[in-house]
Amino acid sequence: MTDKLERELKKALERVDPPLGFAERVLARAANEEESNAPPRAWFGWFPAGGLRWAMTGTLCAALAASGIAYRQERERRGQRAKEQLMLALRITSSKLQIATESMQEMNSRLVHQP
Amino acid sequence: MKRIAIIVALLAVPRLTALAQDWDPGGALKRLDAKAVKTIDVNLDQSMLQFASAFLDPKDPEQAKARKIIADMKGIYVHNFEFDKPGAYTEQDVAAIREQLKGPEWSRVVNVRSKTDGQNTEVYFRKEGDKFKGLVVMATEPTEFTFVDIVGPITPEELRDLGGQFGIPRIEVDQNAAPRKGEHQ
Amino acid sequence: MVFSIAYHFLQNGAAAEEVAQDVFLELFRSLPKLESGAHVTFWLRRVACHRSIDYARRRKNAAAEVSWDDLPEPSHGRVPAEAPADPLLSNRLRQVIATLPEKMRMVVILRYQEDAGLEEIAKTMSIPLNTVKSTLHRAHAALRDKIRASVGEGNL
Repeated sequence: MTDKLERELKKALERVDPPLGFAERVLARAANEEESNAPPRAWFGWFPAGGLRWAMTGTLCAALAASGIAYRQERERRGQRAKEQLMLALRITSSKLQIATESMQEMNSRLVHQP
Repeated sequence: MKRIAIIVALLAVPRLTALAQDWDPGGALKRLDAKAVKTIDVNLDQSMLQFASAFLDPKDPEQAKARKIIADMKGIYVHNFEFDKPGAYTEQDVAAIREQLKGPEWSRVVNVRSKTDGQNTEVYFRKEGDKFKGLVVMATEPTEFTFVDIVGPITPEELRDLGGQFGIPRIEVDQNAAPRKGEHQ
Repeated sequence: MVFSIAYHFLQNGAAAEEVAQDVFLELFRSLPKLESGAHVTFWLRRVACHRSIDYARRRKNAAAEVSWDDLPEPSHGRVPAEAPADPLLSNRLRQVIATLPEKMRMVVILRYQEDAGLEEIAKTMSIPLNTVKSTLHRAHAALRDKIRASVGEGNL
């Protein structure tokens, strides 16, 4: 599996936004379904259909926003974790190279001072 | 044996290509893991390195250096094992890894042993023709073993830079040095 | 996310919108059962996957709308050693992805659009982890072969 193919796949499958008006169409469908499923108005005369629509609008908008926020939060969490692991890897590597460096400097120092 | 294993792995998908990546030379790392009381595993392939790079803070000097170092890297795989006492792992365990580094593409450029505390550090470069394809660092200590596999075009000069970052002195590498007698090339 | 999963899976905007609308309507009905933002995301992704696959199965020919006529003929040995970068490679890849079997296609979309890990893909699609691994491995091989056959060796 080549790295280039993976990069190209990520490019090809970048997220696509829905067309304009998508959210409104979803809400409209939701409202239509709710109205067609609602009991006769006599039972809910005190609850205007408009109020119900606003409640549903708010809920669906919140859900649409929540999924986006949750995605961004998850991405941020993963990114910070990846960064921590990277810094850990580099620090371990550097510290092991340091051992080699100090030993070499110690050896060079002894060679310099030999009679 | 009571064992505290701290394994931090970030390998999304094993990506096996012709280049050395997150490979377990001769199964040795698994055997060492079985004997260790504490293990640190960091596996970052190219996509994870690129992902992590986006979160590095350019205003932080250490993180800015890290970003520069990993710019062309294809992967960095670090395996660190701690043991409860000297002798818990053997020379045979390490020899199995060295066997995998004897191919013509590998050159050992550093082999430093400290007689006072028994620490030994080896650095191997992997080359294809004139191109550097990666490096391996192996550090053996009485109760600790570390294996670092860096995949990508890291040159001796960049190795010097890696040694010069993160608060440690630079490492001098003479890429034209002939191998010492008895030393593998 | 929801629309995008459906769009890349079905390669059809109208179908993707229909699926996405269905998913959000079902979300509205299921909201009381969902516990957190992260749960909502997982739920949306999971339902989007299943709904997209169901839609494709109901309209079997929808996913086969991709025409290989849109892709250039394989050059049969006359590919230059260093083929120039193809700015339309993304389009070709999407077309090729659309020809993959449904489960394989969805694994690829979850992996590369959603950046999902293997375990996450397994949970989302309710399939074993080993199946995800082998499916992804086969997908890579199939995609590589099909793209090379259409655009030559140099691009991948």
